[in-house]
Amino acid sequence: MDKLNSTLTAVKNLRSNVKQCFEHLADGTDGEGGEESRNKFVHDFQERFGAINSQLREVEQLINGLQVPPTAYSLGNTAYLAQETSQDRQALYPQLVNSYKWIDKVHDHSFLAFNNLNQNTLRRSYNYCSQKRQRLPFSSFNNDPDHIDKLLSEINTAPHTSYRIFRPFGTNAVAIVTISNVMKAAIVFKGVLIEWVTVKGFDEPLEHDDLWAESRYEVFRKVQEHAHSAMLHFFSPTLPDLAVKSYVTWLNSHIKLFLEPCKRCGKFVANGLPPTWRDLRTLEPFHEECRNC
Amino acid sequence: MASVSSARESLSHALNNRFLPNLEYLLQGSILDSAVEHLMHRLKGLCDNVDTSPETFHDLEVCMSLRQPNSNQPLLLRVRRALGRDAPFQMRYLGNPEVDQRRPTLVRSCMDCACTNGILEFLTEMGFRLEFEYIAKGYMFRKGRMKITVSKLIKIVPGKQQDMANEPISQSYIVELSVVAPTGQENVGEEMRVFAEQLKPLVQLEKIDYKRLGGMP
Amino acid sequence: MGVTVLQPYPLPEGKSGAHIIDQLGKRLLALGATHSGQFLVDCETFISTPQPHNGAPGRAVHVLHNSEYPASTFSIIDNGTGKQVSLVADNIFDLLMLKMTNTFTSKKQTKIESRGARFEYGDFVIKLGSVTMMEHFKGILIEIEYKSCVILAYCWEMIREVLQGFLGIGVAKEFPSYFATQTIMTAMGQQQLHAKHNDIYEPMDTVKQYLEQFTNYRKHVALHGGMVSGGGQGGPTVGQPGVHIPPSSMVGMGRP
Repeated sequence: MDKLNSTLTAVKNLRSNVKQCFEHLADGTDGEGGEESRNKFVHDFQERFGAINSQLREVEQLINGLQVPPTAYSLGNTAYLAQETSQDRQALYPQLVNSYKWIDKVHDHSFLAFNNLNQNTLRRSYNYCSQKRQRLPFSSFNNDPDHIDKLLSEINTAPHTSYRIFRPFGTNAVAIVTISNVMKAAIVFKGVLIEWVTVKGFDEPLEHDDLWAESRYEVFRKVQEHAHSAMLHFFSPTLPDLAVKSYVTWLNSHIKLFLEPCKRCGKFVANGLPPTWRDLRTLEPFHEECRNC
Repeated sequence: MASVSSARESLSHALNNRFLPNLEYLLQGSILDSAVEHLMHRLKGLCDNVDTSPETFHDLEVCMSLRQPNSNQPLLLRVRRALGRDAPFQMRYLGNPEVDQRRPTLVRSCMDCACTNGILEFLTEMGFRLEFEYIAKGYMFRKGRMKITVSKLIKIVPGKQQDMANEPISQSYIVELSVVAPTGQENVGEEMRVFAEQLKPLVQLEKIDYKRLGGMP
Repeated sequence: MGVTVLQPYPLPEGKSGAHIIDQLGKRLLALGATHSGQFLVDCETFISTPQPHNGAPGRAVHVLHNSEYPASTFSIIDNGTGKQVSLVADNIFDLLMLKMTNTFTSKKQTKIESRGARFEYGDFVIKLGSVTMMEHFKGILIEIEYKSCVILAYCWEMIREVLQGFLGIGVAKEFPSYFATQTIMTAMGQQQLHAKHNDIYEPMDTVKQYLEQFTNYRKHVALHGGMVSGGGQGGPTVGQPGVHIPPSSMVGMGRP
């Protein structure tokens, strides 16, 4: 490749020299000048001509030094440009239109996402503000996928609870947890750090393309609020694995969401809701109003 | 306090105000297996839903009949079930074709009704008996409100459940152009005639006179 | 969609249905519930004609609508021997039934409906329905739905608490009779105990509960004439049409 490059450069130099030489010839002498200027002109021309000759030799030498490539260069899709093709046979046009549409969409969406994400100042995983300082690498969100798979399979033990794990974008995992016939939760990981939790009813759809919509039921919207505060409570940058394990244990205690009365007031329903709060240590159920009194 | 109207009231409201689609306009034709590719190309060029590949379907149609007292014609209901995907069963009632010769298409009353999968057992309990069944497999195209299906009819060999055991009825595809519209929309037929014209000479879509064929459709 | 329990509300002596419903509504609003529109559940029964000659019970098709599912028609066929098959279909099913008038005729005089106000309280939906048959008041049905739960066994205690809270009457701790454990035949022909309260709830279950209650009201009419709902809205004429229904025409309705 290097040889080819230097040859191409030499050819380029030769062409520019030839061009300069012809320009010089075309300019000619000013016509008025005597013998002296004419001599100078001829001398200049001879000099340039000599340079052309030496460069020509150089090019020839370089070309002789080139090896015939063992295989044809792979030019990727550009090779098709040389072929005469009918549009139908290649079916390129619909693909082209599609990819154009996609790129356009991706551009729009990423622009909106970027603006939105920038407004959120409560991020834990990325900290743009501290860019000036050299920040310590956060080990909790750049773990390898194997480690997370292992961690999730370790917690995959509670009966009545099923886990479905998938990775919609790259290495970060999303776990859909179905707790008995009571509720579903989507846990969005970044490494082993829990980024977001969505809680929905058992009969509501919770798929990878719809992780962010809120539940249509008041009780699960409330549980989601509590799940978020618990997520912050269990957050521990030093022991990320333990944080995930205790969080999932806490989440599993919702299996008796409708079955257990509040520990404080002994009633099932308060303000139209069952006891939605689970104590972070004892996992006992409380109504939201009862938990602080 | 506004009171809710009963389902029966809203249904008759839809009928009276002519926004309940209950008439089927139909043209039919057939094409040999060897020429179907050309027809598909033509349809891809003409129709709306061809961004990707044409939409396929694979349905089992079961026709059930109920003998009615005081009437020599049994009541026929067709139940369709998609074999390849999870979808509600579709029940369809088709009336007798109108006799009007001036219309460019066949016109008959038509009611489509999505049901849960208990429908066949339900009809059996009502006294319906199996009349015939077949599998239709093919492609569906859409142009405005017109529906074009190119499908292969497959006979069900009794006793054999496998797909392989069933054999096509003929060496050709049936082509159907249909619109289901509310009563009183006269221009539908004309719209369909123009479209059928564009498929000539590949396929000749015609108004089939079932009475001349004798027997049942 | 969630678990729904249907409870008849006993009418105290000397009180009119409208008065009771008014009172219950006020109590609900005081409890913190909000009023959210009206509801209607209606039922029409079609009977196969001609009746079988050999004395076998005829087939009955019950067609019900529930305003909570406005695009659907629910139907349950009772083949006379106790076997029931249920179906959920588009509204068009009503028109198809009309195509079969030769074989299945509607018993107009037993058309029955429950209609009234709908309240929401958290994820609970409470409906106070007054039941009327042929424009005559028959009784009060209270429907309570807990939308966010799909299994009765999980949330029965919650529903019971809410019911007791505003009904003011004790509700038994046992599951309602519709959800009671029953013996069913498996596909293999074996008898098996089936705990319905552990099943995932479906809209059809609501409709079946209504049919159960409606059938009871109709039976009362057939058996006791106008005795049941004395003091109802209709005054002295209540239940009169019931007397005129010849008992023979009730064959094939509901179960023996």
